[in-house]
Amino acid sequence: MHLTGVGRRYGALGPWVLRGVDLDVPPGTLMRVSGANGSGKSTLLRLLAGIDAPSEGRVTGRPRTAYVPERFPSSLPFTALGYLTHLGRVHGLRSAVATERARAWLERFGAAGHARTPLRELSKGTSQKVAVAQALLAEPELLILDEAWTGLDVDARAELDRTVGELTASGVAVVYVDHDPRRLAGAVDAAYRVEGAALLPDTGQVHEPAPRVTIVARGRAGAPLPAGLPEDARAELDAAGGATVTVPAAHSDTVLRALLRAEPPWHIRAVREPEAEPSPLSYADLSYVERGAEDR
Amino acid sequence: MNALFRYHSALLLRSQRWLPPVLVYGALVAVGAQPGDPVLDSLGYAAAALLPVAAWLARICATQEPPAARHVTAAATSPARTHLAALLTAAATAAALGAAGSALVMAMSDWWSADHRTPIAPVPGIVAGLLAVAVCALVGTALGALCTWPLLRSPGWSVMVTALAALLAVVTPGSPAQVVVTGLITGSRAGTAPVLVLPLAAAAVLAAAATAGACALTSRRT
Repeated sequence: MHLTGVGRRYGALGPWVLRGVDLDVPPGTLMRVSGANGSGKSTLLRLLAGIDAPSEGRVTGRPRTAYVPERFPSSLPFTALGYLTHLGRVHGLRSAVATERARAWLERFGAAGHARTPLRELSKGTSQKVAVAQALLAEPELLILDEAWTGLDVDARAELDRTVGELTASGVAVVYVDHDPRRLAGAVDAAYRVEGAALLPDTGQVHEPAPRVTIVARGRAGAPLPAGLPEDARAELDAAGGATVTVPAAHSDTVLRALLRAEPPWHIRAVREPEAEPSPLSYADLSYVERGAEDR
Repeated sequence: MNALFRYHSALLLRSQRWLPPVLVYGALVAVGAQPGDPVLDSLGYAAAALLPVAAWLARICATQEPPAARHVTAAATSPARTHLAALLTAAATAAALGAAGSALVMAMSDWWSADHRTPIAPVPGIVAGLLAVAVCALVGTALGALCTWPLLRSPGWSVMVTALAALLAVVTPGSPAQVVVTGLITGSRAGTAPVLVLPLAAAAVLAAAATAGACALTSRRT
Protein backbone atom coordinates (compact mmCIF):
# COMPACT_ATOMS: atom_id res chain seq x y z
CA MET A 1 0.00 0.00 0.00
CA HIS A 2 1.20 3.47 -0.79
CA LEU A 3 0.27 6.93 0.53
CA THR A 4 1.16 9.88 -1.70
CA GLY A 5 0.99 13.43 -0.36
CA VAL A 6 -1.76 12.47 2.03
CA GLY A 7 -3.28 15.17 4.24
CA ARG A 8 -6.28 15.13 6.55
CA ARG A 9 -8.22 17.86 8.24
CA TYR A 10 -11.66 17.90 9.78
CA GLY A 11 -13.91 20.48 8.18
CA ALA A 12 -13.08 22.62 5.16
CA LEU A 13 -11.22 25.22 7.24
CA GLY A 14 -9.99 23.10 10.12
CA PRO A 15 -6.30 22.84 10.95
CA TRP A 16 -4.35 20.08 9.20
CA VAL A 17 -4.03 17.06 11.45
CA LEU A 18 -1.67 15.43 8.95
CA ARG A 19 -0.12 16.81 5.83
CA GLY A 20 2.30 15.73 3.11
CA VAL A 21 2.46 12.11 4.24
CA ASP A 22 4.34 9.86 1.80
CA LEU A 23 4.48 6.34 3.08
CA ASP A 24 5.02 2.90 1.68
CA VAL A 25 3.75 -0.11 3.59
CA PRO A 26 5.18 -3.20 1.90
CA PRO A 27 3.93 -6.68 2.83
CA GLY A 28 5.57 -8.18 5.89
CA THR A 29 6.55 -4.83 7.42
CA LEU A 30 6.17 -4.19 11.11
CA MET A 31 5.69 -0.45 11.44
CA ARG A 32 5.54 1.51 14.63
CA VAL A 33 3.90 4.95 14.80
CA SER A 34 4.54 7.14 17.81
CA GLY A 35 3.69 10.69 18.78
CA ALA A 36 2.27 12.77 21.61
CA ASN A 37 -1.39 12.52 22.62
CA GLY A 38 -3.59 14.14 20.00
CA SER A 39 -0.73 14.36 17.49
CA GLY A 40 -2.68 12.56 14.79
CA LYS A 41 -1.45 8.98 15.28
CA SER A 42 -4.97 7.61 15.35
CA THR A 43 -5.92 9.71 12.33
CA LEU A 44 -3.00 8.18 10.43
CA LEU A 45 -4.09 4.68 11.46
CA ARG A 46 -7.67 5.38 10.40
CA LEU A 47 -6.40 6.58 7.01
CA LEU A 48 -4.31 3.41 6.69
CA ALA A 49 -7.29 1.27 7.69
CA GLY A 50 -9.53 2.97 5.11
CA ILE A 51 -11.97 4.17 7.76
CA ASP A 52 -11.14 7.77 6.89
CA ALA A 53 -10.52 9.26 3.46
CA PRO A 54 -7.67 11.73 3.01
CA SER A 55 -8.62 15.40 2.43
CA GLU A 56 -5.81 15.57 -0.11
CA GLY A 57 -3.42 13.10 -1.68
CA ARG A 58 -3.99 9.47 -2.62
CA VAL A 59 -3.96 6.04 -1.02
CA THR A 60 -3.31 3.26 -3.55
CA GLY A 61 -3.04 -0.51 -3.47
CA ARG A 62 -5.14 -1.16 -0.39
CA PRO A 63 -4.89 -4.81 0.68
CA ARG A 64 -7.49 -6.69 2.74
CA THR A 65 -7.45 -4.80 5.99
CA ALA A 66 -8.42 -5.43 9.60
CA TYR A 67 -8.43 -2.89 12.40
CA VAL A 68 -8.33 -3.21 16.18
CA PRO A 69 -9.50 -0.12 18.05
CA GLU A 70 -8.10 0.92 21.40
CA ARG A 71 -11.30 0.48 23.29
CA PHE A 72 -13.92 -1.89 22.04
CA PRO A 73 -17.51 -1.05 22.92
CA SER A 74 -19.36 -3.68 24.85
CA SER A 75 -22.80 -2.28 24.10
CA LEU A 76 -23.41 -4.47 21.04
CA PRO A 77 -26.32 -6.90 21.50
CA PHE A 78 -24.39 -10.05 20.58
CA THR A 79 -22.51 -12.82 22.33
CA ALA A 80 -18.75 -12.83 21.75
CA LEU A 81 -19.03 -15.74 19.33
CA GLY A 82 -22.11 -14.27 17.63
CA TYR A 83 -20.33 -10.98 17.00
CA LEU A 84 -17.20 -12.70 15.71
CA THR A 85 -19.23 -14.90 13.36
CA HIS A 86 -20.98 -11.82 11.96
CA LEU A 87 -17.66 -10.04 11.50
CA GLY A 88 -16.10 -13.14 9.93
CA ARG A 89 -18.88 -13.13 7.35
CA VAL A 90 -18.40 -9.39 6.80
CA HIS A 91 -14.72 -10.20 6.15
CA GLY A 92 -15.93 -12.64 3.50
CA LEU A 93 -15.79 -15.98 5.34
CA ARG A 94 -18.47 -18.64 5.32
CA SER A 95 -20.42 -18.92 8.61
CA ALA A 96 -18.92 -22.26 9.62
CA VAL A 97 -15.36 -21.10 8.94
CA ALA A 98 -15.98 -17.82 10.76
CA THR A 99 -17.31 -19.62 13.86
CA GLU A 100 -14.48 -22.13 13.84
CA ARG A 101 -11.77 -19.48 13.57
CA ALA A 102 -13.53 -17.30 16.16
CA ARG A 103 -13.41 -20.19 18.64
CA ALA A 104 -9.75 -20.86 17.84
CA TRP A 105 -8.70 -17.24 18.41
CA LEU A 106 -10.76 -16.86 21.58
CA GLU A 107 -9.10 -20.02 22.83
CA ARG A 108 -5.65 -18.73 21.95
CA PHE A 109 -6.26 -15.50 23.85
CA GLY A 110 -7.67 -17.33 26.85
CA ALA A 111 -11.27 -16.20 26.33
CA ALA A 112 -12.78 -19.49 25.15
CA GLY A 113 -14.93 -19.62 28.28
CA HIS A 114 -16.60 -16.36 27.25
CA ALA A 115 -17.67 -17.43 23.75
CA ARG A 116 -21.34 -17.55 24.76
CA THR A 117 -21.24 -14.52 27.06
CA PRO A 118 -23.10 -11.42 25.85
CA LEU A 119 -20.64 -8.64 25.00
CA ARG A 120 -22.35 -6.36 27.54
CA GLU A 121 -21.33 -8.69 30.36
CA LEU A 122 -17.66 -8.96 29.37
CA SER A 123 -14.88 -7.19 31.22
CA LYS A 124 -12.95 -4.50 29.37
CA GLY A 125 -10.02 -6.84 28.81
CA THR A 126 -12.14 -9.67 27.45
CA SER A 127 -13.96 -7.25 25.12
CA GLN A 128 -10.55 -6.22 23.84
CA LYS A 129 -9.73 -9.87 23.18
CA VAL A 130 -12.88 -10.08 21.08
CA ALA A 131 -11.74 -7.01 19.12
CA VAL A 132 -8.34 -8.63 18.52
CA ALA A 133 -9.93 -11.95 17.51
CA GLN A 134 -12.19 -10.11 15.08
CA ALA A 135 -9.17 -8.79 13.19
CA LEU A 136 -7.13 -12.00 13.29
CA LEU A 137 -9.83 -14.40 12.17
CA ALA A 138 -10.04 -12.51 8.88
CA GLU A 139 -6.42 -13.38 8.01
CA PRO A 140 -5.89 -9.84 6.68
CA GLU A 141 -2.97 -8.64 4.56
CA LEU A 142 -2.75 -5.42 6.54
CA LEU A 143 -3.39 -5.29 10.28
CA ILE A 144 -3.82 -1.96 12.06
CA LEU A 145 -3.47 -2.00 15.84
CA ASP A 146 -4.43 1.21 17.64
CA GLU A 147 -3.13 0.53 21.15
CA ALA A 148 -4.67 -2.90 20.87
CA TRP A 149 -2.67 -4.13 23.89
CA THR A 150 -4.46 -1.73 26.25
CA GLY A 151 -6.59 -3.64 28.72
CA LEU A 152 -5.24 -7.08 27.80
CA ASP A 153 -3.80 -9.26 30.57
CA VAL A 154 -0.12 -10.23 30.57
CA ASP A 155 -0.65 -13.56 28.81
CA ALA A 156 -2.82 -12.05 26.11
CA ARG A 157 -0.28 -9.26 25.53
CA ALA A 158 2.45 -11.81 25.05
CA GLU A 159 0.18 -13.82 22.77
CA LEU A 160 -0.52 -10.73 20.67
CA ASP A 161 3.23 -10.01 20.46
CA ARG A 162 3.83 -13.58 19.26
CA THR A 163 0.96 -13.39 16.79
CA VAL A 164 2.29 -10.14 15.32
CA GLY A 165 5.68 -11.81 14.88
CA GLU A 166 4.12 -14.76 13.07
CA LEU A 167 2.01 -12.53 10.87
CA THR A 168 4.86 -10.30 9.71
CA ALA A 169 7.00 -13.38 9.07
CA SER A 170 4.24 -14.72 6.84
CA GLY A 171 4.02 -11.49 4.84
CA VAL A 172 1.29 -9.54 6.63
CA ALA A 173 1.99 -5.83 7.09
CA VAL A 174 1.31 -4.68 10.66
CA VAL A 175 1.11 -1.02 11.67
CA TYR A 176 0.71 -0.26 15.35
CA VAL A 177 0.60 2.45 17.98
CA ASP A 178 1.40 1.59 21.57
CA HIS A 179 2.31 3.77 24.52
CA ASP A 180 4.96 1.27 25.65
CA PRO A 181 8.15 2.05 23.66
CA ARG A 182 9.49 -1.45 24.35
CA ARG A 183 6.51 -3.10 22.66
CA LEU A 184 7.91 -5.30 19.84
CA ALA A 185 10.98 -3.01 19.87
CA GLY A 186 13.47 -5.47 18.41
CA ALA A 187 11.20 -6.64 15.63
CA VAL A 188 10.20 -3.23 14.19
CA ASP A 189 11.16 -2.70 10.54
CA ALA A 190 10.13 0.95 10.31
CA ALA A 191 9.37 3.52 12.99
CA TYR A 192 7.67 6.87 12.43
CA ARG A 193 6.72 9.77 14.61
CA VAL A 194 3.78 12.12 14.04
CA GLU A 195 4.84 15.66 14.93
CA GLY A 196 3.37 18.99 13.86
CA ALA A 197 1.07 17.30 11.33
CA ALA A 198 4.06 15.67 9.61
CA LEU A 199 5.17 12.06 9.57
CA LEU A 200 8.89 11.82 10.38
CA PRO A 201 11.17 8.79 10.51
CA ASP A 202 11.61 7.96 14.17
CA THR A 203 15.34 7.75 14.76
CA GLY A 204 15.50 9.28 18.21
CA GLN A 205 13.54 6.53 19.84
CA VAL A 206 15.03 4.97 22.92
CA HIS A 207 16.27 1.66 21.58
CA GLU A 208 16.17 -0.82 24.32
CA PRO A 209 17.48 -3.97 22.74
CA ALA A 210 14.59 -6.38 22.51
CA PRO A 211 15.05 -9.59 24.42
CA ARG A 212 16.64 -12.03 22.00
CA VAL A 213 16.07 -15.72 22.25
CA THR A 214 18.79 -18.23 21.42
CA ILE A 215 17.75 -21.43 19.72
CA VAL A 216 20.22 -24.31 19.56
CA ALA A 217 19.44 -26.88 16.89
CA ARG A 218 21.13 -29.72 15.12
CA GLY A 219 20.71 -30.75 11.51
CA ARG A 220 22.50 -32.96 9.07
CA ALA A 221 26.20 -32.02 8.81
CA GLY A 222 26.74 -29.43 6.12
CA ALA A 223 23.01 -28.78 5.61
CA PRO A 224 22.16 -25.10 5.00
CA LEU A 225 19.69 -23.32 7.25
CA PRO A 226 16.09 -23.71 6.08
CA ALA A 227 14.34 -20.96 4.16
CA GLY A 228 11.75 -18.85 5.95
CA LEU A 229 13.86 -17.59 8.84
CA PRO A 230 12.98 -13.99 9.82
CA GLU A 231 15.34 -11.34 8.45
CA ASP A 232 16.45 -10.30 11.92
CA ALA A 233 17.57 -13.79 12.86
CA ARG A 234 21.34 -14.22 13.32
CA ALA A 235 22.62 -17.73 12.81
CA GLU A 236 25.93 -19.50 13.30
CA LEU A 237 26.55 -22.93 11.82
CA ASP A 238 29.29 -25.34 12.79
CA ALA A 239 30.77 -28.13 10.71
CA ALA A 240 29.04 -30.86 12.69
CA GLY A 241 25.59 -29.58 11.71
CA GLY A 242 24.95 -27.61 14.90
CA ALA A 243 23.24 -24.23 14.54
CA THR A 244 22.82 -21.40 17.02
CA VAL A 245 20.13 -18.92 16.00
CA THR A 246 19.42 -15.73 17.94
CA VAL A 247 16.24 -13.85 17.16
CA PRO A 248 14.00 -11.24 18.85
CA ALA A 249 11.65 -13.04 21.20
CA ALA A 250 8.64 -12.10 19.06
CA HIS A 251 10.01 -14.17 16.18
CA SER A 252 11.15 -17.27 18.05
CA ASP A 253 8.12 -19.33 17.01
CA THR A 254 8.75 -18.51 13.37
CA VAL A 255 12.32 -19.81 13.64
CA LEU A 256 11.18 -22.97 15.40
CA ARG A 257 8.53 -23.57 12.80
CA ALA A 258 11.02 -23.11 9.94
CA LEU A 259 13.48 -25.49 11.57
CA LEU A 260 10.94 -28.17 12.41
CA ARG A 261 9.21 -28.04 9.06
CA ALA A 262 12.46 -28.26 7.07
CA GLU A 263 13.10 -31.43 5.08
CA PRO A 264 14.69 -33.23 6.91
CA PRO A 265 13.57 -31.44 10.09
CA TRP A 266 16.14 -29.98 12.43
CA HIS A 267 16.33 -31.22 15.98
CA ILE A 268 15.78 -28.49 18.59
CA ARG A 269 18.24 -28.94 21.45
CA ALA A 270 17.45 -25.85 23.49
CA VAL A 271 15.63 -22.55 23.58
CA ARG A 272 17.27 -19.96 25.85
CA GLU A 273 16.78 -16.37 26.94
CA PRO A 274 20.40 -15.26 27.42
CA GLU A 275 19.81 -11.79 28.88
CA ALA A 276 17.18 -12.84 31.36
CA GLU A 277 17.75 -14.93 34.44
CA PRO A 278 16.73 -18.41 33.41
CA SER A 279 13.61 -19.37 35.31
CA PRO A 280 13.31 -22.81 36.91
CA LEU A 281 10.75 -23.62 34.23
CA SER A 282 13.21 -23.05 31.41
CA TYR A 283 15.78 -25.26 33.19
CA ALA A 284 13.21 -27.98 33.40
CA ASP A 285 12.39 -27.51 29.73
CA LEU A 286 16.07 -27.65 28.86
CA SER A 287 16.79 -30.83 30.75
CA TYR A 288 13.71 -32.39 29.25
CA VAL A 289 14.91 -31.50 25.77
CA GLU A 290 18.42 -32.82 26.47
CA ARG A 291 17.16 -36.06 27.96
CA GLY A 292 14.87 -36.52 25.01
CA ALA A 293 17.89 -36.21 22.76
CA GLU A 294 19.84 -38.85 24.70
CA ASP A 295 16.92 -41.29 24.75
CA ARG A 296 16.91 -41.23 21.03
CA MET B 1 -23.04 -6.67 1.27
CA ASN B 2 -25.13 -9.68 2.22
CA ALA B 3 -23.10 -10.24 5.38
CA LEU B 4 -23.25 -6.53 6.25
CA PHE B 5 -27.01 -6.49 5.74
CA ARG B 6 -27.36 -9.55 7.95
CA TYR B 7 -25.16 -7.95 10.61
CA HIS B 8 -27.12 -4.68 10.63
CA SER B 9 -30.48 -6.49 10.67
CA ALA B 10 -29.35 -8.63 13.59
CA LEU B 11 -28.10 -5.50 15.34
CA LEU B 12 -31.46 -3.77 14.88
CA LEU B 13 -33.48 -6.83 15.86
CA ARG B 14 -31.47 -7.75 18.95
CA SER B 15 -31.01 -4.20 20.22
CA GLN B 16 -34.83 -3.81 20.33
CA ARG B 17 -34.43 -0.26 19.09
CA TRP B 18 -37.04 -1.15 16.47
CA LEU B 19 -39.69 -1.40 19.18
CA PRO B 20 -40.56 2.32 19.70
CA PRO B 21 -41.04 3.17 15.99
CA VAL B 22 -43.05 -0.01 15.44
CA LEU B 23 -45.27 0.76 18.43
CA VAL B 24 -45.78 4.34 17.26
CA TYR B 25 -46.69 3.14 13.78
CA GLY B 26 -49.11 0.61 15.24
CA ALA B 27 -50.70 3.29 17.41
CA LEU B 28 -51.02 5.75 14.50
CA VAL B 29 -52.66 3.14 12.28
CA ALA B 30 -54.95 1.95 15.07
CA VAL B 31 -56.13 5.50 15.77
CA GLY B 32 -56.47 6.58 12.14
CA ALA B 33 -57.85 3.51 10.42
CA GLN B 34 -60.96 2.05 12.05
CA PRO B 35 -62.54 -1.25 11.02
CA GLY B 36 -65.17 -0.60 8.38
CA ASP B 37 -63.60 2.63 7.08
CA PRO B 38 -63.27 3.05 3.30
CA VAL B 39 -60.20 1.02 2.34
CA LEU B 40 -58.39 3.63 0.20
CA ASP B 41 -58.72 6.33 2.88
CA SER B 42 -57.25 3.98 5.45
CA LEU B 43 -54.44 2.90 3.11
CA GLY B 44 -53.55 6.54 2.47
CA TYR B 45 -53.48 7.18 6.18
CA ALA B 46 -51.34 4.10 6.88
CA ALA B 47 -48.84 5.13 4.17
CA ALA B 48 -48.62 8.70 5.50
CA ALA B 49 -48.01 7.36 9.03
CA LEU B 50 -45.20 5.18 7.69
CA LEU B 51 -43.12 8.09 6.40
CA PRO B 52 -41.94 9.54 9.74
CA VAL B 53 -41.51 6.01 11.09
CA ALA B 54 -39.26 5.11 8.11
CA ALA B 55 -37.19 8.25 8.75
CA TRP B 56 -36.90 7.28 12.41
CA LEU B 57 -35.76 3.76 11.48
CA ALA B 58 -33.12 5.19 9.13
CA ARG B 59 -31.83 7.36 11.98
CA ILE B 60 -31.70 4.34 14.29
CA CYS B 61 -29.88 2.13 11.77
CA ALA B 62 -27.39 4.82 10.79
CA THR B 63 -26.33 5.36 14.40
CA GLN B 64 -26.81 1.93 16.00
CA GLU B 65 -23.13 0.92 15.81
CA PRO B 66 -20.90 2.56 18.43
CA PRO B 67 -18.02 4.44 16.69
CA ALA B 68 -15.33 1.85 17.49
CA ALA B 69 -17.49 -0.99 16.15
CA ARG B 70 -18.24 1.10 13.07
CA HIS B 71 -14.51 1.58 12.51
CA VAL B 72 -13.96 -2.16 12.72
CA THR B 73 -16.64 -2.96 10.13
CA ALA B 74 -15.56 -0.05 7.94
CA ALA B 75 -11.96 -1.30 7.88
CA ALA B 76 -13.18 -4.78 6.94
CA THR B 77 -15.23 -3.44 4.02
CA SER B 78 -15.51 0.31 3.51
CA PRO B 79 -17.31 3.07 5.41
CA ALA B 80 -19.68 3.66 2.49
CA ARG B 81 -20.65 0.00 2.20
CA THR B 82 -21.41 -0.42 5.88
CA HIS B 83 -23.51 2.75 5.85
CA LEU B 84 -25.34 1.53 2.75
CA ALA B 85 -26.09 -1.75 4.52
CA ALA B 86 -27.47 0.17 7.52
CA LEU B 87 -29.77 2.28 5.32
CA LEU B 88 -30.90 -0.78 3.34
CA THR B 89 -31.77 -2.46 6.63
CA ALA B 90 -33.85 0.58 7.59
CA ALA B 91 -35.62 0.71 4.22
CA ALA B 92 -36.36 -3.02 4.26
CA THR B 93 -37.70 -2.83 7.83
CA ALA B 94 -39.89 0.16 6.95
CA ALA B 95 -41.20 -1.58 3.83
CA ALA B 96 -41.99 -4.77 5.76
CA LEU B 97 -43.68 -2.78 8.52
CA GLY B 98 -45.70 -0.79 5.98
CA ALA B 99 -46.71 -3.93 4.12
CA ALA B 100 -47.86 -5.57 7.36
CA GLY B 101 -49.78 -2.45 8.41
CA SER B 102 -51.42 -2.12 5.00
CA ALA B 103 -52.36 -5.81 4.94
CA LEU B 104 -54.06 -5.36 8.30
CA VAL B 105 -55.85 -2.26 7.05
CA MET B 106 -56.97 -4.05 3.89
CA ALA B 107 -58.32 -6.96 5.94
CA MET B 108 -60.42 -4.83 8.27
CA SER B 109 -61.56 -2.03 5.93
CA ASP B 110 -64.64 -1.69 3.86
CA TRP B 111 -63.85 -2.23 0.14
CA TRP B 112 -66.17 0.52 -0.99
CA SER B 113 -65.65 4.13 -2.03
CA ALA B 114 -65.97 6.91 0.56
CA ASP B 115 -69.67 7.39 -0.22
CA HIS B 116 -70.27 3.61 0.01
CA ARG B 117 -71.71 3.50 -3.51
CA THR B 118 -68.88 2.14 -5.67
CA PRO B 119 -67.01 -1.08 -4.88
CA ILE B 120 -63.17 -0.91 -5.02
CA ALA B 121 -61.58 -3.49 -7.29
CA PRO B 122 -59.26 -5.67 -5.16
CA VAL B 123 -56.20 -5.86 -7.41
CA PRO B 124 -55.81 -2.12 -8.15
CA GLY B 125 -56.61 -1.47 -4.49
CA ILE B 126 -53.83 -3.75 -3.25
CA VAL B 127 -51.37 -2.43 -5.85
CA ALA B 128 -52.17 1.20 -5.00
CA GLY B 129 -51.77 0.52 -1.28
CA LEU B 130 -48.41 -1.23 -1.68
CA LEU B 131 -47.17 1.48 -4.08
CA ALA B 132 -47.96 4.10 -1.45
CA VAL B 133 -46.11 2.03 1.15
CA ALA B 134 -43.05 1.79 -1.12
CA VAL B 135 -43.07 5.53 -1.87
CA CYS B 136 -43.42 6.53 1.79
CA ALA B 137 -40.78 4.01 2.93
CA LEU B 138 -38.32 5.33 0.33
CA VAL B 139 -38.99 9.02 1.00
CA GLY B 140 -38.84 8.42 4.76
CA THR B 141 -35.53 6.54 4.49
CA ALA B 142 -34.12 9.30 2.28
CA LEU B 143 -35.09 11.99 4.80
CA GLY B 144 -33.79 9.94 7.70
CA ALA B 145 -30.48 9.40 5.89
CA LEU B 146 -30.12 13.13 5.23
CA CYS B 147 -31.03 14.17 8.77
CA THR B 148 -28.58 12.04 10.73
CA TRP B 149 -24.90 11.05 10.83
CA PRO B 150 -22.82 11.74 8.77
CA LEU B 151 -24.70 14.85 7.58
CA LEU B 152 -26.28 16.03 10.83
CA ARG B 153 -24.41 14.92 13.89
CA SER B 154 -26.16 16.67 16.78
CA PRO B 155 -28.96 14.36 18.03
CA GLY B 156 -31.24 17.25 19.06
CA TRP B 157 -31.17 18.96 15.69
CA SER B 158 -31.39 15.63 13.96
CA VAL B 159 -34.67 14.68 15.65
CA MET B 160 -36.23 18.11 15.11
CA VAL B 161 -35.23 18.39 11.47
CA THR B 162 -36.33 14.80 10.76
CA ALA B 163 -39.78 15.42 12.27
CA LEU B 164 -40.23 18.68 10.36
CA ALA B 165 -38.99 17.22 7.07
CA ALA B 166 -41.29 14.20 7.43
CA LEU B 167 -44.28 16.47 8.02
CA LEU B 168 -43.39 18.63 5.01
CA ALA B 169 -42.89 15.56 2.80
CA VAL B 170 -46.46 14.44 3.53
CA VAL B 171 -48.15 17.82 3.05
CA THR B 172 -46.07 19.70 0.43
CA PRO B 173 -47.89 19.53 -2.92
CA GLY B 174 -45.82 17.73 -5.54
CA SER B 175 -43.77 15.62 -3.11
CA PRO B 176 -44.01 11.94 -4.11
CA ALA B 177 -45.49 10.99 -0.73
CA GLN B 178 -48.09 13.76 -0.88
CA VAL B 179 -49.05 12.72 -4.44
CA VAL B 180 -49.65 9.05 -3.55
CA VAL B 181 -51.47 9.80 -0.29
CA THR B 182 -53.71 12.43 -1.93
CA GLY B 183 -54.20 10.05 -4.86
CA LEU B 184 -55.57 7.38 -2.51
CA ILE B 185 -57.91 9.82 -0.77
CA THR B 186 -59.31 11.32 -3.99
CA GLY B 187 -59.48 7.77 -5.41
CA SER B 188 -61.58 6.81 -2.43
CA ARG B 189 -64.07 9.55 -3.30
CA ALA B 190 -64.12 8.59 -6.97
CA GLY B 191 -64.24 4.86 -6.29
CA THR B 192 -61.12 3.97 -8.32
CA ALA B 193 -57.75 2.97 -6.95
CA PRO B 194 -55.04 5.11 -8.56
CA VAL B 195 -51.91 3.21 -9.62
CA LEU B 196 -49.24 5.95 -9.66
CA VAL B 197 -45.87 4.82 -10.93
CA LEU B 198 -44.28 8.23 -11.45
CA PRO B 199 -44.14 9.10 -7.71
CA LEU B 200 -42.51 5.72 -7.09
CA ALA B 201 -39.80 6.49 -9.65
CA ALA B 202 -39.30 9.94 -8.12
CA ALA B 203 -39.09 8.44 -4.61
CA ALA B 204 -36.57 5.85 -5.81
CA VAL B 205 -34.38 8.54 -7.37
CA LEU B 206 -34.62 10.65 -4.21
CA ALA B 207 -33.73 7.70 -1.98
CA ALA B 208 -30.82 6.67 -4.21
CA ALA B 209 -29.42 10.22 -4.29
CA ALA B 210 -29.79 10.72 -0.53
CA THR B 211 -28.20 7.34 0.21
CA ALA B 212 -25.33 7.93 -2.22
CA GLY B 213 -24.67 11.36 -0.70
CA ALA B 214 -24.73 10.07 2.87
CA CYS B 215 -22.51 7.08 2.01
CA ALA B 216 -20.00 9.28 0.19
CA LEU B 217 -19.64 11.44 3.29
CA THR B 218 -19.02 8.57 5.72
CA SER B 219 -15.25 8.52 5.22
CA ARG B 220 -15.00 12.32 5.43
CA ARG B 221 -16.63 12.68 8.85
CA THR B 222 -15.75 10.70 11.92
